[in-house]
Amino acid sequence: MSVKLTPEQVEQIKRHGEQTFPEECGGLLLGVVVDGARVIREILPLENVRKDSRHNRVELDPRDYLRAEREAAKRDLGVWGYYHSHPNHPAIPSGFDLEHAPFIEWSYLIVSVRDGKAEELRAWRVREDRSQFDEDTLTVTETSSAKLST
Amino acid sequence: MPSISIPTALRQYAGGQASVNVEAAHIGDALAKLTAQFPDLQKHLFDVSGKLRSFVNVYVNDEDIRYLQKEDTAIKDGDEISIIPSIAGGSGCAVEEAPVEAKSAELPELNKDELARYSRHLILPEVGMEGQRKLKAASVLLIGAGGLGSPLGLYLAAAGVGRLGLVDFDVVDHSNLQRQVLHGTKDVGRKKLASAKDRIADINPHVQIDTYELALRSENALGIAKDYDIIIDGTDNFQTRYLANDASVLLGKPNVYGSIFRFEGQASVFHPKAGGPCYRCLYPEPPPPGLVPSCAEGGVLGILPGVIGMIQATEAVKLILGEGEPLIGRLLLFDALKMKFRELKLRRNPECPLCGDNPTIKQLIDYDQFCGVTPQPATEVSDWEITPLQLKQRLDSGERVTIIDVREPHEWQIANLENYGSRLIPLGQFANRIGEINPDDDIVVHCKMGGRSAKAYDALKKAGFTKIKNLKGGILAWADQVDRTMQKY
Repeated sequence: MSVKLTPEQVEQIKRHGEQTFPEECGGLLLGVVVDGARVIREILPLENVRKDSRHNRVELDPRDYLRAEREAAKRDLGVWGYYHSHPNHPAIPSGFDLEHAPFIEWSYLIVSVRDGKAEELRAWRVREDRSQFDEDTLTVTETSSAKLST
Repeated sequence: MPSISIPTALRQYAGGQASVNVEAAHIGDALAKLTAQFPDLQKHLFDVSGKLRSFVNVYVNDEDIRYLQKEDTAIKDGDEISIIPSIAGGSGCAVEEAPVEAKSAELPELNKDELARYSRHLILPEVGMEGQRKLKAASVLLIGAGGLGSPLGLYLAAAGVGRLGLVDFDVVDHSNLQRQVLHGTKDVGRKKLASAKDRIADINPHVQIDTYELALRSENALGIAKDYDIIIDGTDNFQTRYLANDASVLLGKPNVYGSIFRFEGQASVFHPKAGGPCYRCLYPEPPPPGLVPSCAEGGVLGILPGVIGMIQATEAVKLILGEGEPLIGRLLLFDALKMKFRELKLRRNPECPLCGDNPTIKQLIDYDQFCGVTPQPATEVSDWEITPLQLKQRLDSGERVTIIDVREPHEWQIANLENYGSRLIPLGQFANRIGEINPDDDIVVHCKMGGRSAKAYDALKKAGFTKIKNLKGGILAWADQVDRTMQKY
């Protein structure tokens, strides 16, 4: 299992995290699956709809997810994961993240933002029994030429 | 026919389809038919009890069924049903993350003696060599070397915490020995810090002990606490408790809290930096002075600080190791008589003046003032008070003084002023029995230390009495200053 991003996409996630600092940010990952790897084609930054604790909580609007699915379908893409930021915290999933991870099939990206500056970006997968997160391989390459699969 | 759109991640369990048509009249029916057709979907959408999983939202044409008729929501031909994940995350209350991060590369080595000493730790996967080195690298500040500080000091030293700071300015007294197991009978009269240092060094000579013989105050708290990884609150008064909390939050350090009273105790870990609340989120304001009796006034089961101190020690070790789930965001309540633990969820208060979204407290304040306590020089006697020596002189000169003891009967049994005609009217009965007291008499009220009798004084004053005095320092002061043979407690 792995997730593939382009350097531009990594920058886009980091920038989103820096812009919303000290609050958390979040967004969806649109892409395809090639030989088990999630190849991300588009980063979709979304609004954090939490009203409270925005410095350590993020929540996306279900309607935004619905729109993302519809948008992805038009371009033969799927929603294969989501990213969020951890302001002044390591890019390691919290217990809260585990409780709220919807799909074991998804890729979960976390970017650590320290004092307004984005630092590491790490990728995680939820174990099938949902007992914990395991770190996933994050590959950053220029646009993949691999053929599409559904 | 209504259609159900399947999220990308779950399509592999629905034959790869993005949308499935079902013949159904309401949502519950539609989902049942969907999972009948694709059984693999069942466990992804429903939990073992058959309820929709918490992160599964179901929408009908862009409306959440929770705001319609839930699973009974009727559907008709052409309706689009969507299964939508609720997506949330956050950095707070991380279980995988150690709030006290050890600098792995710089961890100190363990020598042969230490390896032998910690062997039962080393074989625990959760501790192991790295964990034991983390403990050695760690520093913990204990505020108070008394009831809670005793088990904390003993066990944290034994566990191998590398550096312990102890703050205390008291002297060991006989009445401490019932619970303060750091000190022995031979230590009575010694400084608590000296006694504690001896005992801890005996338990584990590998521990560095820093002692601070002072009262923790706004002027010195940050300077002392900044050099420690964890602050442990083992204090017995509200001023120091708020001070310890505020200093910890301002320094971004975890504050392992414990408090005890009679047969009950509480413990928590306050650590806003890790997403949890602070003491002020739980108790924004201190209680009015005198409302909550101290252990000296109200008593405490000697074992109780052992139980609560052990919980604090366990939490401190977990924080250092980065193992388990810390008590962050949880308040543990213990009742020794019922032998029950209860747990309350605590949330950070966004309005908290210290750790909230718009904090107004950015430096340490005057905690005596905040807690409504005016420290008085020991020698000063207000005109509503009388010292034991003054009272003794008046009694010796043959003056008629009515002494009213407002303590409880079991306290009376230990020591009393019956020889001077003292009468027992416990504070709880005071209002009802005030008529038993002659307003023309010269009255002196007393209790153990002067707190409860101050309330009796106020009650008498309100009732119109004028010739009243409160015995300063209570019967304990009498025992110290007048009658050294009197039994103290």
